[in-house]
Amino acid sequence: MTALLETRGVTQRFSGLVANSDVSISVGRGEIVGLIGPNGAGKSTMFNLIAGVMRPTEGSIWFDGEDVTRMPAAERCQRGIGRTFQVVKSFETMSVIDNVIVGALVRTTTMREARRKAHEVLEFAGLAARADVLASQLIPSEKRRLEVARALATQPKLLLLDEVLTGLTPIEAQTGVDLVRRVRETGVTVLMVEHVMEIVMPLVDRAIVLDLGKVLVEGSPKDVVRNPKVITAYLGDRHAVGA
Amino acid sequence: MDKNFAARRRRELMIAGCLAAVAALVPLFVKDVYVQNIMVLTLMYAALSQSWNILSGYCGQISLGHALYFGLGAYATALLFTKFGVLPWFGMLSGGLISALIAMALGYPCFRLRGHYFVIATIVIAEIALLLFQNWNWAGAALGIDIPVRRDSWLTFQFTRSKLPYFYFALVLAAIAWFVTWWLEDSKWGYWWRAVKDNPDAAESLGVVVFNSKMGAAAVSAFLTAVGGGFYAQFVSYIDPESVMGFQFSLLMALPAVLGGIGTLWGPMLGAVILIPLTELTRSFIGGSGRGVDLIVYGTLIVLISLAQPQGLIELFSRRRKAVAP
Amino acid sequence: MTAETIIQSLASGLLMGLLYGLIAVGLALIFGLMDVVNFAHGEFLMIAMYVTFFLFAFFAVDPLLSAPLVAAALFVFGAVVYLLIVRFAMRAKANAGMVQIFSTFGLAIVMRGLAQFFFTPDYRSITHSWLGGKTVSIGGIFLPEPQLMGALVSIVAFAGLYFFINRTDFGRALEATREDNGAVALVGIDKNRVFALGWGLGAALVGLAGAIMAMFFYVYPDVGASFALIAYVTVALGGFGSVFGAFAGGIVVGLVEATTALVLPPSLKSVGIYAVYLLVVFVRPRGLFGSI
Repeated sequence: MTALLETRGVTQRFSGLVANSDVSISVGRGEIVGLIGPNGAGKSTMFNLIAGVMRPTEGSIWFDGEDVTRMPAAERCQRGIGRTFQVVKSFETMSVIDNVIVGALVRTTTMREARRKAHEVLEFAGLAARADVLASQLIPSEKRRLEVARALATQPKLLLLDEVLTGLTPIEAQTGVDLVRRVRETGVTVLMVEHVMEIVMPLVDRAIVLDLGKVLVEGSPKDVVRNPKVITAYLGDRHAVGA
Repeated sequence: MDKNFAARRRRELMIAGCLAAVAALVPLFVKDVYVQNIMVLTLMYAALSQSWNILSGYCGQISLGHALYFGLGAYATALLFTKFGVLPWFGMLSGGLISALIAMALGYPCFRLRGHYFVIATIVIAEIALLLFQNWNWAGAALGIDIPVRRDSWLTFQFTRSKLPYFYFALVLAAIAWFVTWWLEDSKWGYWWRAVKDNPDAAESLGVVVFNSKMGAAAVSAFLTAVGGGFYAQFVSYIDPESVMGFQFSLLMALPAVLGGIGTLWGPMLGAVILIPLTELTRSFIGGSGRGVDLIVYGTLIVLISLAQPQGLIELFSRRRKAVAP
Repeated sequence: MTAETIIQSLASGLLMGLLYGLIAVGLALIFGLMDVVNFAHGEFLMIAMYVTFFLFAFFAVDPLLSAPLVAAALFVFGAVVYLLIVRFAMRAKANAGMVQIFSTFGLAIVMRGLAQFFFTPDYRSITHSWLGGKTVSIGGIFLPEPQLMGALVSIVAFAGLYFFINRTDFGRALEATREDNGAVALVGIDKNRVFALGWGLGAALVGLAGAIMAMFFYVYPDVGASFALIAYVTVALGGFGSVFGAFAGGIVVGLVEATTALVLPPSLKSVGIYAVYLLVVFVRPRGLFGSI
């Protein structure tokens, strides 16, 4: 079975700076894959490339068997790629439900359908009680959930989560993890960028580690965590154990 | 929850219907021609500002060059009528279509611009059009076009004996502008526009083709504005570039929406009802001396309202409602 | 049309352009500092011209001498405008852009009304200033002395501004506040003080321009309106947030205006400027040197 998402030799250069170098990764249907790595590894750039915010300098990106390398972001959403933003970008002057309706509209034909779908998604994300509140008045963890709900309303095949669990309290983070698991149960594939190891590792099926723009290591969470190259990348040479 | 929403929508329609009915009855009681004139202008500005609000309020693309479309509508109507005998009804429609097309053509390069660059581009484009019309001899150049009265009739849309027909037309225009806004508010376009206004990047990630949605808003807004321009030409029977395409006019179209509540359904209407009579009255009673007191009053009002009520005066109504609700 | 006429026009255009740059730089400074476009900028120019005129009419002070005084007066005025109006406009959480635009625009209308009220709509002019009406010949090209002085003042002002922003403590405070006006409090910089002084500085620069322009332009309540749009176009062309952009933008605008006047009837003089603005931003959506 072909992978849902495939990047082939993707390189991204910004006038002198190489953000990503020859990155080839793939995400299979139904997986939860974690994209991790130290700061500056090129994770966010990779995300923006997959989502269609920019075009890679070299390489190609394939989604569901189709070459989407040159496809603009809005069209990629229509194809089934949904995403959240690291710095939450909610529609501040609109209510929570209206935010989600915007997402739902990409798939529905009538407003009634969109509203119904939006209610459904809010229930799923645990925000139903806040439906009529203005997005600007939500607390940070709720805003994060809104980001996810909004993207889910577009009925994506692949959901890109950009550090949705960072900076949350342990309880909030657990709710978040739970949400991600339930998302996968509905049949959505998840690719998530994360920093908080203890939370991400139990959650993902597979982890891809980026360092300095390149793929360092790939594998099961258990293996990746113990890999000396990964430890070196995060903590420096002194902490590497064995070779 | 859907029931509450449907109820709210119905309520809005009913309020609009009642207001329109009340407005329709006013001329029966007010016979003073001067006051009737102010009423016609108020309704016209309400319609214009509501149209402006579609692009600049809902979609967030602030245009301070909307006089371009108003002027095009006015000139299209006037030129077709005086040079070719085309009835103003077709003139207004033509003006509307031409303006919509031009708005989209201009949108192509302009919507790439953000923030102040966009605003200045709109100002500059209108100024170019103004200057061109001032030098276009066939269209009357700086002296403009005088529309002679052919016949008092609805066909030619000219009335010399009474302002009432103009009043009712302006009322219908304002009602249409309001209704179009109301209808679009609960539609894909309405939601997309507000998303684009708040955060174009997020909108894109949710499948909104930002560029197309801006074009749609521009076209609808330009069309309605141009029809208003055509109406104005017939109402005053004389137009020149400065009066229908000037920057002052662009501002006057935006002000009611800003004061009443930009990006809201009722804001432009409320703003027009307050601002236009105030402007006309201060100009007549105080401005006559030519000493600028009307400007001082007018300007101070704008400063005070924009500082004290950035959301517009319409906020006062919703706050009161919230206080009363259980 | 001879080569001489063309060179003559371009030279005048260059001088006017430098003056436009001087008018525009205050706008660029204020915008760069706090992301606010002063829609009353034209009226600041108008006030400066009136102050210059009255100093001449009542105290026989030549504009050249009164220029520093006018700049100082406008400095105070600019700071006051910030403290009384703009400071509150910036607090608006909703529709921040519209509040700025319309509050300063309302101020512009009030200022025009006040000018009409106190000074009447009559056109005034300074008849016997030291430089007014005189020309000097440089290499066979005749340059009007007021405009020449204006150009020199502009260059000196820009140089001074560059030095001020990059080499002095206050200049650095200005830059810091520009970059992060929330964080500067942590290092003891009072944001409001910096903003007020920034407005004052921006106004003072336009004050200088006004003093010079009073030597060769009529002074009347609406004079600001004609130059305001040129100022905005200049700043936008050069790129919002760039002081150097205002300088370069001014030169471009001056030259384009002069060139347009050579080929088109005088009433269409401004079309060239507007068209060039559009061309530039269509290709570079942030102006020539804009960072924002």
